[in-house]
Order: sequence, then structure tokens, then C-alpha cells
Amino acid sequence: MNKNKIIGSILLASSLLVTTAHADIKIGAIFDLTGGLNIYGIQQNNALNLAVENINNNGGLLGDTLVVKSYDSQSELSKYTQYAKTSVLRDGISAMFAGLTSSSREAIRPIFRKANIPYFYSSLYEGGACDKQTFVTGSSASQQLSVLIKWAVEKYGPRIYVMAPDYNFGTISAYWIKKYAADNGAEVVGQDFLALTVTDYSPTLQKIQAAKPDFVVALPVGANQTGFLEQFAATGLKDKIGVVSTNYGSGNQQVVVSPEAGKGLIASQGYFMSVNSPENTEFTKKWVAKYGSEIPIVSGAVDVWNAVHIWAAAVKEAGTAESTPVIAALESGISFKAPNGIVTIEGGSHHLRQNIYIAEGNDQHGFNIIKTFEDVAPSYENEKCDLVSNPKLVKHFTP
Amino acid sequence: MELDYLASVLVSSLSSASILLIATIGLAVVFGLMGVINLAHGEFLMIGAYSALTVTQLGLPYVLSIPVAVLVTMAIGAIVEVLIISRLYGRIFDTMLATWGLSMVLYQLAVLIFGTVSPGIGMPQYNIQIGDYNLAGYPLLMIVVAIAMLVFVYLLMTKTIYGMKARASIQEPEMAQAIGIDSTRTNTLTFAVGCGLAGFAGAVLLPIVPATPSMGFAFVIKSFLTVVVAGPVTLTGSALAAIGLGGGSSITASFMTSVAGDVFFFLVTAIILWLYPLGISAKWRHKL
Repeated sequence: MNKNKIIGSILLASSLLVTTAHADIKIGAIFDLTGGLNIYGIQQNNALNLAVENINNNGGLLGDTLVVKSYDSQSELSKYTQYAKTSVLRDGISAMFAGLTSSSREAIRPIFRKANIPYFYSSLYEGGACDKQTFVTGSSASQQLSVLIKWAVEKYGPRIYVMAPDYNFGTISAYWIKKYAADNGAEVVGQDFLALTVTDYSPTLQKIQAAKPDFVVALPVGANQTGFLEQFAATGLKDKIGVVSTNYGSGNQQVVVSPEAGKGLIASQGYFMSVNSPENTEFTKKWVAKYGSEIPIVSGAVDVWNAVHIWAAAVKEAGTAESTPVIAALESGISFKAPNGIVTIEGGSHHLRQNIYIAEGNDQHGFNIIKTFEDVAPSYENEKCDLVSNPKLVKHFTP
Repeated sequence: MELDYLASVLVSSLSSASILLIATIGLAVVFGLMGVINLAHGEFLMIGAYSALTVTQLGLPYVLSIPVAVLVTMAIGAIVEVLIISRLYGRIFDTMLATWGLSMVLYQLAVLIFGTVSPGIGMPQYNIQIGDYNLAGYPLLMIVVAIAMLVFVYLLMTKTIYGMKARASIQEPEMAQAIGIDSTRTNTLTFAVGCGLAGFAGAVLLPIVPATPSMGFAFVIKSFLTVVVAGPVTLTGSALAAIGLGGGSSITASFMTSVAGDVFFFLVTAIILWLYPLGISAKWRHKL
């Protein structure tokens, strides 16, 4: 290769680099597209791509095109940190959308803090994450349980049994159940924490019968734990004891659970596909056109959709995709007309005010919404975490 | 403690032990008889569950879907034996790696074919009452199923010509070939039988454990430990280990917490293997 050719190709390459740098805003996405958690990750990723397509079809962002750098974390924590670093060091992203489990969020949060890149975590979780660069668009345990426990005590009675997975989502949720039970004149008469691999729930069912509760708060994680609901119904307890949950349906468990076991189960979340609003109709129409209607949309997907749009709104407000002004814009309290109602970023806690829905399982593997609590604040996070007055705060608060 | 609670705990722990035994027998045959550690055992359970589910969705009664599930898993098991396992006899760690890889492939295939969620078939809404306590009927039926499976495998391996050939091919492969037994084909069949038993387990447990791509993970660890604790006298040993470990952990879970039940399982396993490194049946005179 002669000298001119080399210089020519360097010029060509650099001109290409320059043009891409001007025409694109890059965002990163790390979700579990394969492995045990892809029950959630595929939908989160689909929602991200749909949101980006939606923004690009409406003229892009500040006249630029949004480009996604997507990674498959394969349900492994080590992949999260690896790809988070790649996205920062190589891809030069302006924002990151990633993670399902709290452990994945905690693994990558420091990377985006150090790089000063806004990071959006979009899943219902136990609550309490507090970091200048981190924004949470899912609902927190206290946000959901505050309204659910009050409602359930009124509906079923004051004796509560807790069946929860044996890690921080379960134990922190159990703490909130105890607190809201006391606030509403009810009591927790028994609780059982279960490993995620348990498939035989007969000991738990015996203990529930011994404790004689009015309702059970069941927090089964993943499809394996749907067996609990089948066994609960087959034991003949469903007619005597109510079942409520903050995460039933978050992984489309209602599709797996048989109609006999699923009818009448109470679930509370920030989104159900059956939410009745023009925004949701439009959103589901777009989703079905692209991904089909075979699998219902889960709340985690809508949380991602909301995250991308909220970030885009902040970029528009800031007039740039640079991190510091975008974070400032986000903290100014951006609202978005979401499929699940109007959602608003709380400037101090970086969590969302949003509707919490209570829905009842029907006999067609779906949900009927029976009550909507509008604009519920993430009060625990607001109380503990104020990143506007204390921007250096980095903590995962636990009650 | 009331008597009715005690009685219901005992009965339900027996059904817990039976469920563990049902999930384990296929592994016991493959590991106990052939010395092959099949880390994809859980995935064969999953294949059985999905086969039964698919057949039921096509309109066949659930009971008839079970033999279909057995045939499907046996066929896949035979293919796996010919393509992978038969090349690795005597190389125990290579077999573990290969079957572990296979389990990941089968898992991801299930996701691609069936998606991450499929409708379950539900459990028969039948239950019995002991005093104040209700017990679901279907898990209790598993006690009968476990006994039937044990008897079937025992008779298959001791009373049939295939059974004698199978044991001969594994224990004395050269001698078996010398007297005219086609040990290659016999081994293929034995591995297929083990997989078929796993498929049967997945199908028969389908009402209790819904079919999901990841369902194998839930079973494979405890099944595997049960077989290791059982030792060389595969069948009787596995039955005893399942009752002791599965039943014991279920009783512990009933009186304490489910976590305590799991702790019991793994702690007792560790202590037994410390005292009897070759399994509880290492010094027994029985063969099965």
C-alpha cells in the first residue's frame, strides 16, 4: 500500500468517524436475552427498541438519530460489568438502560457513577437505591405494598401470612408488610422464606393452614414458584384464604398458572396490559404490530419504555445529551404520559411517582383491573434519599 | 403440637420424598448403572414436561400424554448417547462437561421453541382432609407412582433379558461382548431408559411443577446428591436416600422454615458423604 492510499484511507476513516459522531446519539442496553432471566430481559429489550424506533420516527432527538448499543448479559452478573465497561470505554454512550435483578444494578451502578452517565434501572424491586447517576422507573416494594396491604386488610381481614423468596427482595418486602400491617391494625401471623429452587410447597401449605390467616402475601419469583399457586389451589385453600402479590404477573406467571388456580388472585403493580387509557392502547398497538400478541406485555417492559422517553424528554429540555445538564433536567421533575398513566420523576430520590394498579386474575390467563391508586409517591425513597440537596449521597437504603 | 398437624406433616413429607425419588430414578439408572454423570438430567425432565404439555394442548387426554413424553425423551436420549456419551465412557469429567454443555443447549432450544412462558395444565382440584388440615390429592398420588417406578425398574433390570445384558455390558463389557451381547446397543438402550424415566418424571410431575425452560435446575442438584448419597446399590439406596433427605427436609421445613429444610438436606448430605464417601450402600450385598 503506498503512502497516498494510507493517508487517503485515514482521511476517509476519520471523516466517517466525524459524521457518525454528529448524526447519532448512542444509548446502551444490557438485558438478559438468554439464560434463566430472559423471561424478563427479552421484553425489556423489545421495549427499548420500540421506544427508540418511536423517537426516531418522530424526528429523532435534537435532530439526531438515536442508536442502540445492545448487549446480552446472559443472566450472568460478570457479563453486566464487562459490557457496562465496554459501553462506556468503547461505545461512548450518552445513557444506559440495563438490568433486572438488584444484584445486576448494584454491580454496574458504580461504573456509570464514575463515568457520570445517567443509568436507568427499570424493574419492580425492593427499593432504596440512591445514587446521582441512577434513575429507577420501576415501582419499589414500599410503593406497591403501602396501598396493597391497606386494600387487602379491608377486603379479607387482619391476619396475614407472608410467603417470600429468600433474598433481599423477599426479606425487605416482608419488613414492609409487617409495617403496613401494623399501620392498618393487622398482624403478620406467620412467614416462610423459600429458596428459589423449591418446587414442593407442601410444608409451607401446612404452616399456612396452622396459622389460619385471612390472606397470604405470595411473592413467588420466576416461573418455578408458580407451582406454589397451583398447589395452594389444589389443596382447597383458595376459597378460604385470599392471595395477594406485588410481583405475580411481572414475569407473565398468569400465563403459566392454570385458570382454576389463577382466577381471583390479586396482583398489584405499576402496569398491567389491561390498563384502559389512550396511551396504553397506542402503546399496545405498536407493540403487537412489532412483536405479536402471543405473550402479554409485562410491567418491566413499560418501565423501560418510560425510562427511554423520560430520558429523551430530559435531553430535549437540556438541549444536549451531555450527562450533567441531562441529570439536572431529570431532577427538575419531568413528567411523561405513559401507558400506565402520568409518571413523574422525583428530583430528590430519582424514583417515579406513578399509578399502582390492583388487578384480579381472570380465567383467561389475564387480569381485570379492579382499583387504581393514582400518582403514588415512592415515599420511603423520598424520605431517605435527597440527591438534590445532597448530590454526593451513594447508598442502598434498607429499612 | 396437635395430632392432626403431625399426621398431615408426615403424609406430606412422604409425598415430598416421593416427588424427589420420581425425579431421581432416571439419574440413578444412568449414574448408578452406567457411571455416567448426566448433568443434563434436569433438561430431560423438562423435555418430558414439554412433550406432555404439547400433546395435551393438541387435545389428547393428559394420561395418554405421559407415554408420548417417555418415547420422545427416550428417542432424544438415544441420539445423545450415540453422538456424545458413547464416545466418552470412562472419562467421567469429560462426560460432565459435555452433558453440562448439552443442558445449556437444550435449555436455550426450549426457550426458542416454546418461549419463556407456556400455559400450565393445572392440578386436579381434589384434596383430602386430616383433622383441620387439607392436603392436595395429586401430590399424594405421587407416593404410589414412586413405588410403581421402583418396582418397574427393579423388575426391568433383574427379571428381563435386557436387564441382565445391561448390567453385564457395564460391569464386564469385554466378557459381555465375548458371549455375544451387543454392548454398544445395550448401552444406548440403557441411557435411553434413564432419559425416558426422566421424561416420565417431567410428565407425571407436570401438574405440580409447570413446564418452564429452567425447571431442570430446580431438580438436578437434589437428584444428583440423592444418587451420590445412595451409592453403588442404586435403586434401594436412592429410595432410602430420597426418604431420608427429601422426607427429612420436608419435615424440618414444616416445623421450622423452608430455608431450614434446605439446610437440613445439604448438611445431612455432607455429613453422610463424610462418613460414607462411597454412599450409604457401599457395603451392601444387594446389587440393585
